[in-house]
Amino acid sequence: MSDLLAVDATGVTKTFGAVRAVDDVSVRVAAGEVYGVLGPNGAGKTTFLRMLFGLIRPDAGTISVLGKTWDDDGVGVLDGVGGFIESPRFYPYLTGRQNLEGLALLDGGVRPGLLEEVLALVEMTDRADQKVGGYSYGMRQRLGVAASLLREPRLLVLDEPANGLDPAGIRDMRALVKRLAASGLTVLLSSHDMDEVEEICDNVTIMKRGTVAFHGTISELRTMAPDPGYLLATTDDTRALALAEEHPALQVVRDPEAALVVTGRREDVSTFVSGLVRAGIDLLAFNPTQTPLEALFFMLTDDSTHQTLDRPVELTKAAR
Amino acid sequence: MSTATTAPVTPGDTTSRTDRRPGLLAPLRWEVRKLRAQYRAKAVLIGAVLLPIIVVVVIHGQSRPPKDTLFGRFATVNGYAIALLVLGFAAQWVLPLLTAVVAGDIFASEDQHGTWKTVLTRSTSRGSLFAAKAVTAAGFAVLVLVVLAAATIASSLLVVGHQPLIGLSGQTIPAAEALRLVALSWATMLPPMLGFTCLAILLSVWSRNPAVGIAAPVVIGMVMQLVGALGGVEPIRPFLLTTPFEAWHGLLADPRFTGPLTDGLLTSAVWCAVCLGAAFVLLRRRDITGG
Amino acid sequence: MRRTILVVLAALVAVIALGSAVVATSGDSSTVTRPRLERSLTTTFANLYVDQARIEGRDITASSLHATSMCDKAGAENKDVGPGGDWVCLVSWTDPEVPMPPEGYGKFELNVHSNDCYTAGGPSKLTGFLTMTDAHGREVTNPVFEFDGCFDPNGDDTPTGIVFPSLLSVASTTVTPDADGKAGLQVTCGTGEKGCAGTVVAVAGGQELGSMPIDLAEEATATLPLPTAVPPGATEVTFTVHLTTGAGPTSPVTLPVQAP
Repeated sequence: MSDLLAVDATGVTKTFGAVRAVDDVSVRVAAGEVYGVLGPNGAGKTTFLRMLFGLIRPDAGTISVLGKTWDDDGVGVLDGVGGFIESPRFYPYLTGRQNLEGLALLDGGVRPGLLEEVLALVEMTDRADQKVGGYSYGMRQRLGVAASLLREPRLLVLDEPANGLDPAGIRDMRALVKRLAASGLTVLLSSHDMDEVEEICDNVTIMKRGTVAFHGTISELRTMAPDPGYLLATTDDTRALALAEEHPALQVVRDPEAALVVTGRREDVSTFVSGLVRAGIDLLAFNPTQTPLEALFFMLTDDSTHQTLDRPVELTKAAR
Repeated sequence: MSTATTAPVTPGDTTSRTDRRPGLLAPLRWEVRKLRAQYRAKAVLIGAVLLPIIVVVVIHGQSRPPKDTLFGRFATVNGYAIALLVLGFAAQWVLPLLTAVVAGDIFASEDQHGTWKTVLTRSTSRGSLFAAKAVTAAGFAVLVLVVLAAATIASSLLVVGHQPLIGLSGQTIPAAEALRLVALSWATMLPPMLGFTCLAILLSVWSRNPAVGIAAPVVIGMVMQLVGALGGVEPIRPFLLTTPFEAWHGLLADPRFTGPLTDGLLTSAVWCAVCLGAAFVLLRRRDITGG
Repeated sequence: MRRTILVVLAALVAVIALGSAVVATSGDSSTVTRPRLERSLTTTFANLYVDQARIEGRDITASSLHATSMCDKAGAENKDVGPGGDWVCLVSWTDPEVPMPPEGYGKFELNVHSNDCYTAGGPSKLTGFLTMTDAHGREVTNPVFEFDGCFDPNGDDTPTGIVFPSLLSVASTTVTPDADGKAGLQVTCGTGEKGCAGTVVAVAGGQELGSMPIDLAEEATATLPLPTAVPPGATEVTFTVHLTTGAGPTSPVTLPVQAP
């Protein structure tokens, strides 16, 4: 089982009308790893995951899940796979427990006690006998995780599990995913949040407009991260801008909000800032604009490239 | 892969729980359970009990019998006649509506609640799910017809009485025989009603909208009724799904004729097969993008 | 939404095309035919008539009535096929207590539906009104005043061979001469076999005005011009009908002359 790929998707393509939602995407997830699919909304993450679950039929390409394919195994391809796509949905006129009982029927039954276990795991035991129609978004999300775990999956597919949750909910959800991953589960996680992926995942695929923009490990991603940018507010921005001429390694531009944005290596920024102070220009504010990976993420997925970055990006065809 | 000691889930087992297939009955049990939890299904059944009672009492209280409908002329004085009058009335749009309330909703409600992705990511194939839903809708149609027929016949006999019935050849039918024929006539509603069940299923799958799934079969039924009543287009009549609703006339004639019944059975079966086939193909090929 | 409308339109077009094709290829194939209607009406009427007699306290059987019917749809030129409210059936039966009129039958008007059921209204003179008095003196519904019946769409369609003569009746209520003394007589030939043919002889004040030939199809009306002018001062004209085809008034008909 260890050398079997949990997910092996090759050249997967899907077109809706004139829109190519997923274009020649290949993803390989090894057993036991936590894999992130990252991209802004509309990048094709969800369409890809739907194809994984057989909800959408790909136009081209092959998808094998735990060694099985839709063509050969039909719904058997989902054996050992659990998860949800977008926000999990349930029957509002049934209670949480009734929903899970029904889904267990569709799974061919579950071992005794498991239902209570998964409810307890997502801390929904108290609310299980209320109708889902009255659940909050976060409760439905947790019930979704419970419903996925009811399948005792070997591969757990979660589509934006923290989406729409409050900060505490996000923290709990991430902790839960980490705990599940630690138990040896293969996890395929989609997200539009770099932080989340960085925190949880081993490997990542970044998607942009249906295509793969980056493919590799988190540490590979880190080495590609651009120099950090800083927001700088001074008592005399015009003079500070003039002084920046002496530091060719730095890029300093005026921000629309009447501050300066400085991009460059840490040492160069440090030299520049101390130069400002020596010249009698006081610093009013000095803040990092975004984390390096965040900057990279935007760089990879946004067409309107940030003015703060002048490093050419040629990562779109990066191989694993 | 065997580090799971703290987590409640023990993955990595080659014989995972989810490798088991649910039997054919499991999705059916699930559909029935959902139906029982729905207010709408209960309301329809209660309506099927109460409405005929109200109609029978109201017609019985009329001074002038409703002569425009078959058996209407004796409806105020003969229990069997009023049971058949209600039958003729029910066949016009009530029976298609009663079955469509469930059949027109059973697929589209998954779209409404966005739950296709929930049920189709389990271990049940689209085929099994389709079969379970179709069987549930058909079962409900049978149940609601039986309830409606029983309520109508019982209230007719209790309110109006069980006098000998004058048949459609002017013959007098003794009360015991009349009861048998009236019950049989109600039973002949089943094939076309199931035809409408299948039509509602198709519309439910195609439209993905419960309102269309429920209302459209009723409207289509009324249009067919209208076309069937027109002169000049009679060759179309055998192909209409509403024609079998009138096949019971033969049971109350003397000599009895059953040709329309067998024709109606065939018509209903063809409608059902075509609708179910088309609905299944639509559902199988569909990309579930919503929810 | 556009997809929905397109599919609905396509389905409609397909249904209409298919329907037209079926209608075009199968032609005039209504299950509502004269022989089926005649057989069904005869049986249904006989059964109900027996029922009516029973209500009156008389005991007769359906077979003793020897009922026969002849049906016709909308006159001579129309085929006797298809549903409609223009079916007329002539029914003859034998009941010593209710003798038939001279022409030998009563006229029923039928509304036949495409579902092979019909509603028939009988001649009140022979079959009575909406309600009747039963043997115990109670007002009850008359089963033969108006009744429903259905027939087998696959039933026997060979002609019954039952025919009745048309009944010629005088439709005019007065004779109204113009300034020249010319006048006409309106006559109607009812449903029946072959229509009405023969002559009418008009007499006014002992003076014969001449004879007028009649040759009418069934369910037709004609105005016969009097051969000679109505003499001034005549107060009434008497017409005597002699038919070679069809049945007419057995006694002469006398109409008043209305001054122009």
